[in-house]
Amino acid sequence: MLFNSLSFVVFLAVVLILYYSKIFNWTNKKRMLLFASYVFYGLWNPPLVILLWISTIVDWTAGKKLMEVQGERQRKMWLLLSLFVNLGFLAFFKYGDFLLENFTALMNSIGVEFQAQPMDIILPMGISFYTFQTMSYTIDIYRRKIKPANTFLDFALYVTFFPQLVAGPIVRAKELISQFYEPKKATLNQFIWGTFLLTAGLFQKVVLADTLLASTSDDIFDSGKIMHVLDSWTGTLAFSGQIFFDFAGYSTCAIGIALMLGIILPDNFRYPYASLGFSDLWKRWHISLSSWLKDYLYIPLGGNRHGITRMYVALMLTMLLGGLWHGAAWTFVVWGGLHGTYLILERLQRKYLPFEINAKNGIFLALLTYTCVNITWVFFRATSFTDAWNMIKSMLFLNPEGQKILDNFDIIKVLVVITLTFLCHWYMRDSSMKEKANHVSPYVLGLLWAMMFFLICISQGSGEQFIYFQF
Amino acid sequence: MKLKISLFTAVLISVISLIVWETNWRSKGYAPSIDDNKDLWVVQRHKVNTLTDQDVILTGSSRVLFDIQLDVWEGLTGIRPIQLASVGSSPLPIFHDLVENTDFSGTILVGVTPGLFFSTLFPEADPWKRPQSKVDHYYDQTYAEKLNHRISLPLQKNLVFISAEEESTDDDKDLKTLLENVQISDRIPKGYPPFYQFGEIDIDRNMRMLKRTETDTAFANTIIRAWVFIMSSGGPPPDVKGTMGYFLKDAKKFQERGGNLILLRCPSSGGVLDGETKFLPRATLFDVLADSAKAHAYHFQDYEQLTGYNCPEWSHLSASDADRFTKDFVNIILKDNAIPNKKTN
Repeated sequence: MLFNSLSFVVFLAVVLILYYSKIFNWTNKKRMLLFASYVFYGLWNPPLVILLWISTIVDWTAGKKLMEVQGERQRKMWLLLSLFVNLGFLAFFKYGDFLLENFTALMNSIGVEFQAQPMDIILPMGISFYTFQTMSYTIDIYRRKIKPANTFLDFALYVTFFPQLVAGPIVRAKELISQFYEPKKATLNQFIWGTFLLTAGLFQKVVLADTLLASTSDDIFDSGKIMHVLDSWTGTLAFSGQIFFDFAGYSTCAIGIALMLGIILPDNFRYPYASLGFSDLWKRWHISLSSWLKDYLYIPLGGNRHGITRMYVALMLTMLLGGLWHGAAWTFVVWGGLHGTYLILERLQRKYLPFEINAKNGIFLALLTYTCVNITWVFFRATSFTDAWNMIKSMLFLNPEGQKILDNFDIIKVLVVITLTFLCHWYMRDSSMKEKANHVSPYVLGLLWAMMFFLICISQGSGEQFIYFQF
Repeated sequence: MKLKISLFTAVLISVISLIVWETNWRSKGYAPSIDDNKDLWVVQRHKVNTLTDQDVILTGSSRVLFDIQLDVWEGLTGIRPIQLASVGSSPLPIFHDLVENTDFSGTILVGVTPGLFFSTLFPEADPWKRPQSKVDHYYDQTYAEKLNHRISLPLQKNLVFISAEEESTDDDKDLKTLLENVQISDRIPKGYPPFYQFGEIDIDRNMRMLKRTETDTAFANTIIRAWVFIMSSGGPPPDVKGTMGYFLKDAKKFQERGGNLILLRCPSSGGVLDGETKFLPRATLFDVLADSAKAHAYHFQDYEQLTGYNCPEWSHLSASDADRFTKDFVNIILKDNAIPNKKTN
């Protein structure tokens, strides 16, 4: 089910009515939320709920056993079982065709005649999110950082909680499960603010991403043509805005919906397009994934504990795998590799060419960072290296004969939206929506809220899927 | 934060804005309309599973949608056909699905619009991709999508501004279309001329031409310009051999299991008819198809009752003409015993 659909409006209304009615005690409310979460997921493809159940049962059992057994070898086996099942799901459902394709290419390259039929496996929505979330649970218990959930119901709800089930934020057990132990009820202010966040998230998705930016980005990246410099930049900027508003919009909706239930979810985006460098970017973009990768990949790979060279290797490996997490294609790996390279270069700059960031040079640094991020988005969005390379060449004025396919209004529209986005991120980078809302008149806030709602209503659209569902 | 005040303000302004927006469109003469989208088509496709050999399915392109009126057909035969025609489409993908994936052995009427029927077998070409996406949606539609469709219908029926068509037209009222209609000088050559909705569809997918298309010549001319653009844009040549072979194979299979096939060439007029006569002559296309398919085949030019229509935009019949055409056509095929008639049975 999509947040930007009419069925979700009905679904949410029913859930809220049941949640705030007096007919259920807290345990039954949690059961109702769990059932609703399965309905939320199952309305897309009912059989794939079984994967959620398997993941839930395996990790619940592994978590309990990790707490009960004392031998390190046995504990390791239970952890490996959890990792094997979750990573196995990912390997089969997400990377099955990709692995087969590459195996075939490898065999052919060494002269072995081998052809395989693509398996055409359906990608379960949000599998990368819930598998990472449940793995963090067992790993944290293995590291003795947390205790297992009090009840199976609490754990199952942690895995399946519908606001963040299919596209995050990837919430750690300590942040969410403990919230299920005591009855939760949003205060009136929390409920209204949650509704505001839901509106703001839908505005980002429906109006900014789908209505204002998606078609321009699609026109450019799906054309298969070699573009004029202005068109290539406009298409890339449009995609940078589209993917941000699509994903940040989802996270904002998720946080808002959870807040309407009295549950607090962590921030997932903090105005990333005003980042001052790439370390800063990864503290602001998809925060729950970058902190997951840091805690469960970068640090176990050695982090910065074994010298500079090892640190760079760990950093690059983390970013390459982070790229692959986003999709089963080499273009995503290159996207991760570029980010890894940027991070290494930034550390080298800090060591050999340090300079102080101040108010004057800050915005230029943010603009430079954003420009470099746009280069990476080309690989993220393009469907082949040929297309990506052609785009990069066009953006660097190396395709003087490139075609113009966008009209003037399209270009102006994208440039206005992106400029305002960048300035807004710069203005908000050390603040938050709530903090700013505290300082404006309630009538002005109401007016802004109404404008967002009105624009959502007149945009409608066909309920296009969130980009991050496919990851 | 005084959030209660903000919420109250937001609700108030939102309601007022939406009322003003809706009133504005209505004052310009627009009325609520149902979107002829994939979900609407899928509802009809589901009905096929319950049909008997006495039932009738209509396939083809927009001419079958506009020209065959379900109420008239039902009034004459006692059987309400299932309307599976699709605008701008080759009928081949839908007919293929009906033959291969159902055991329906009643009557299938296939509309033969030469420029679409014989156009292509290429899966990415619009005349193929469009109907195939409907067929695919029948198999892929999620429960959430079904639910969305059901909930959206009352809104579509009652609100003008809920009118983002799946087949986007330039008079859609959604923000994206409104913005797309803004032009600031010409950076790129002009493409497809403006194209507007000229018919309205109901819940059973019965399409009727808007009165405005009949009475407002300037409006009808905007549609004519679109047909002229399509006909003069020099697309790939028709794949007559490929499409004919593909269809005949399915037709044979359908007939072998007792199915009754009817081919219908609906009227066109003006420049569209001239173009079709010149570039897609019936002698080498429709007549050959009719002979090869061994089906009941009807060309409007062969029957006095079916000729003489003046299509307001050269390609489809006005609502009143469609009623008359359906009545005359059904009487002809009843006389030929080409379809069952529950009224006499």
